[in-house]
Amino acid sequence: MIPKDRKLYLALLAPTLLVLLVFIVAPITQSIISSFHRIIIGLPQLNSPFIGLENYQELFHDSVARHSFWVTLLFVSTTTFFELLLGLLLALLIHHRFPGRGSLRACVLIPWAIPTVVSAQMWRFLFNDAYGMINYAIFGHGVAHYIPWLAKPGTALFAIILADIWKTSSFAALLILAGLQIIPEELYQAAKVDGASMWRRFWHVTWPLIRPAILVALLFRTIDAFRVFDLAFVMTQGGPADATNVLQLYGYKKMFVEGWMGYGSTISVSVFVIVLVLAVVYVRMVGRRLLEASL
Amino acid sequence: MNWRPLTKTIRLFILLAIVFLSVPSRASEPQTIVFLMWKPNQPEVRERLIERFHETHPNIRVQVQIGPHSSTEFHAIVTQRLKNKDTSVDVFLMDVIWPAEFASAGWAVDLTSRFSKKAQKAFLPATIAANTYHGRIYGVPYFLDAGLFYYRKDLLDKYSFDPPKSWHDMLAQGKAILKGEADPTLHIFSAQFKQYEGLVCDMLEFIWSHGGRIIDQRTGKVLVAEPPSIQAVTFVRDQIIGKAAPQGVINYEEPESLEVFLQGKAVFHRNWPYAWTVANDPERSKVAGRVGVGTLPAFPGHRPAAALGGWQFGISRWSEHVEEAWEFVEFMTSFDSQEILAIQAGLAPTRVAVYKDPVVQDKMPHLKDFLPAFKSARPRPVSPLYPMISQELQRFFSRAIAESKTDVQNLAQATSARIRRVVQMEAAVRR
Repeated sequence: MIPKDRKLYLALLAPTLLVLLVFIVAPITQSIISSFHRIIIGLPQLNSPFIGLENYQELFHDSVARHSFWVTLLFVSTTTFFELLLGLLLALLIHHRFPGRGSLRACVLIPWAIPTVVSAQMWRFLFNDAYGMINYAIFGHGVAHYIPWLAKPGTALFAIILADIWKTSSFAALLILAGLQIIPEELYQAAKVDGASMWRRFWHVTWPLIRPAILVALLFRTIDAFRVFDLAFVMTQGGPADATNVLQLYGYKKMFVEGWMGYGSTISVSVFVIVLVLAVVYVRMVGRRLLEASL
Repeated sequence: MNWRPLTKTIRLFILLAIVFLSVPSRASEPQTIVFLMWKPNQPEVRERLIERFHETHPNIRVQVQIGPHSSTEFHAIVTQRLKNKDTSVDVFLMDVIWPAEFASAGWAVDLTSRFSKKAQKAFLPATIAANTYHGRIYGVPYFLDAGLFYYRKDLLDKYSFDPPKSWHDMLAQGKAILKGEADPTLHIFSAQFKQYEGLVCDMLEFIWSHGGRIIDQRTGKVLVAEPPSIQAVTFVRDQIIGKAAPQGVINYEEPESLEVFLQGKAVFHRNWPYAWTVANDPERSKVAGRVGVGTLPAFPGHRPAAALGGWQFGISRWSEHVEEAWEFVEFMTSFDSQEILAIQAGLAPTRVAVYKDPVVQDKMPHLKDFLPAFKSARPRPVSPLYPMISQELQRFFSRAIAESKTDVQNLAQATSARIRRVVQMEAAVRR
């Protein structure tokens, strides 16, 4: 009986495994292999020789890559922090019962449902110095001293961070809302009977119980933010002065603009490794917390 | 538009005639060559030209294959097929920055024996330089693009100024006009300074017109950190960005910078030839009919320079019909073809003589104003690794001009070192 069962399992798993193999394992392997070779589109006569870790050594000494790393880290930390904070507030709001809650819940999801390329284009127009709505809202009509948001290194990164927070806070809210909904109503009633204030009810009932959900949201947001590409690609192309040149965009430019496939692969493999390490650390953390929570 | 169905019937008739006539007489079967290009704005002009070619060259048939319009995507398609030694492509178009790459990779046929020095003299010099790699020529210029200087003719007349010859004149005239107009939203200048390829073109025009260069094409020496280049970059940072031009230009490509000019908010504007038609279209432009065009200014004691763009014909090294392919390229770049392309499709000719042609002067009077600017055109550094050089330049220029306190000298030296590495990579392969 058991061998037959096993055959069935394998048959049922095969399609998924195949898809994973073809679309995930194969490209990653290919990238890793490329990162050990010198492949330059403009110089095909090089014949892509194997160069060991040379590309990785190059990456360590590449000041532009280092700068990109810090820009990415700043982006990841600020967006994740604000997205979780706003996500929590949003979740608490739409968890309450009030008339029109259903439609509000749907509305909250709109930014997340719009493709990033489209919303990036929208923010690019909003932040335009001459005819953007943001300058209009701040300075009114026909003023000569507007702020060229996307033309200054500091404000350009801020603009991209803001666009990301706008877009993905609702995703964090959705995850946290799921956590809120599994808290049994009786706990609140019991707390009320004991005379706990709203503040105490939050800190002693809600907060410990939604922590696992917040950790899950943290995991998703950090990993996703590390892979940011489209916002910078559409809004600034990495400029001005490399201020928004996030790692993935830098890797893309090396590969597809400069034709330096080997080195570009090295950059994306490095991002992959960073994200992988983060994922492992978080999953262990979240796993333990989840266990504690259920005990 | 009544002629459209008519040409269709004629084309169908010709097609049928070809089918009927070619079946019995197998002896004189024409040789087919494949021409790979992108979709032009007026495909009917190209079709008419190819029909003419078929009439004059009955032994050759041209089959056109259309690739994507974006230069980067078209590059991917062409290089893919050449890399795979695909014999089914004979002739292809090359963007102005590709010939060195195609020559170095051995993808483009060396045309030096066919395209003689004497024949080359008929073309604008920059277009020949762009197709020359280490003394040999690999492409024939099809049409060109170059940086032009647009100005508000009405405002210059009002304050009785001639179009400025130097960048300093431009600033002085602009200041006087701004003072007189008393419009706080009016700017002196608008151009493209976003961190992208356009930034390289615009900045090179400042550097060249100050006697600077990026690379000495003959010795391979990198000259980015030399005083003429550094002074030009510093001038842009201190006098143009946030002063003559709004700070916002740091994130402007062609459309945004042109919009400032179209709305009447800039006295002077740098753009490509396409902007001429847009600026004079009353539906899209508030300054239609009040626009002048000419050569970009220069620094005192130096000659103006425009960044060269445009497309060339190349012949595939894997082609089995190089002779026929060459006949086709010769035909498409002939005086007559360029005249037709200029008048009917608005493409700027690469042959100087076409500009002097009375028919062209009558139908396209503005081309005469473009010519001095086209003559001042120069190619960007000719290298198979140009995209890498360009990325380094974009980084340098953007860092140098985006903030007012940058150490340009230091940045230039770092950039120079990085470009030197690229040049060495290229030289190592040639050896």
